[in-house]
Amino acid sequence: MVNKYLFVAYSFVWVVFMLYAWNLSRRQDSLKKELDEVKSKVAESSPTPASGKSGS
Amino acid sequence: MNKKFPIWLHAALTAAGLIVTVYMIFLYAPEEMTMGEVQRIFYVHVPAAWVSLMGFLIIFISSIVYLSKRTQFSDELAQATAEVGFIFCTCVLVTGPLWAKPAWGIWWTWDARLTLTFLLWLLYVAYLMLRNYLVNPGRAASLCAVVGIIGFVDVLIDYMAIRWWRTQHPQPVVLGGPESGLDPRMLATLLVSWAVFTLLFFLLLRMRLRLAGMRRELSEIRHVLAFKVSED
Repeated sequence: MVNKYLFVAYSFVWVVFMLYAWNLSRRQDSLKKELDEVKSKVAESSPTPASGKSGS
Repeated sequence: MNKKFPIWLHAALTAAGLIVTVYMIFLYAPEEMTMGEVQRIFYVHVPAAWVSLMGFLIIFISSIVYLSKRTQFSDELAQATAEVGFIFCTCVLVTGPLWAKPAWGIWWTWDARLTLTFLLWLLYVAYLMLRNYLVNPGRAASLCAVVGIIGFVDVLIDYMAIRWWRTQHPQPVVLGGPESGLDPRMLATLLVSWAVFTLLFFLLLRMRLRLAGMRRELSEIRHVLAFKVSED
């Protein structure tokens, strides 16, 4: 039988780290989406062709 | 740095290190005679505390660099470190009382080490709040840099507190003088956990810095777009 204090301490630490890592990747995904949208807007608004430049 | 040590390799190493650490904590390290199983909290509490102190050292150095050179990266580094350091410091403040209750019979006492660690957590909170509530980014960066420099005094006193004063908190077991010491298997487990927590800290920091870089790129593009629109 695992000590309850030990169980709570380890559970808390791993849950917090996992939640934070998940939160970071979620924020990164939404920023990437926003960035792609803005980049496509820039590409649309530029009058001259990109001539091979990807812009990313 | 990114090419020499890509983030996927960093993540894989950290994950492997975490598996080894869990094995060592629960199967390799011997059970402590007086406290029993609950003493194993030590292997996560101490490395998290070390990383929290190191985090504020990074904030301190980046803040000095920011105030002297005004480089955007130093500000982003300080901000990212504050967020990651806050997570680790919270873990210290939660695991400490969970160990103290069965070991001392109380959850908390206002001794020097505990109070200064709580103050460190408040400094992390203050830093992040200042950053989020001030509208002017330049002003927020400067004020946060001042907090990062002044707050470092707490880190120094916190580190020395158990050496300078008699506290309820145990005396240092590593680098604490001739009377300190650990069983070799306990010491090996602590050092591995220490290294893995440091790896985890830098992994989260790199992820957070990547976020800051993307945010900067986005604001630069928006700035250019706004300029174009105003020109048209």
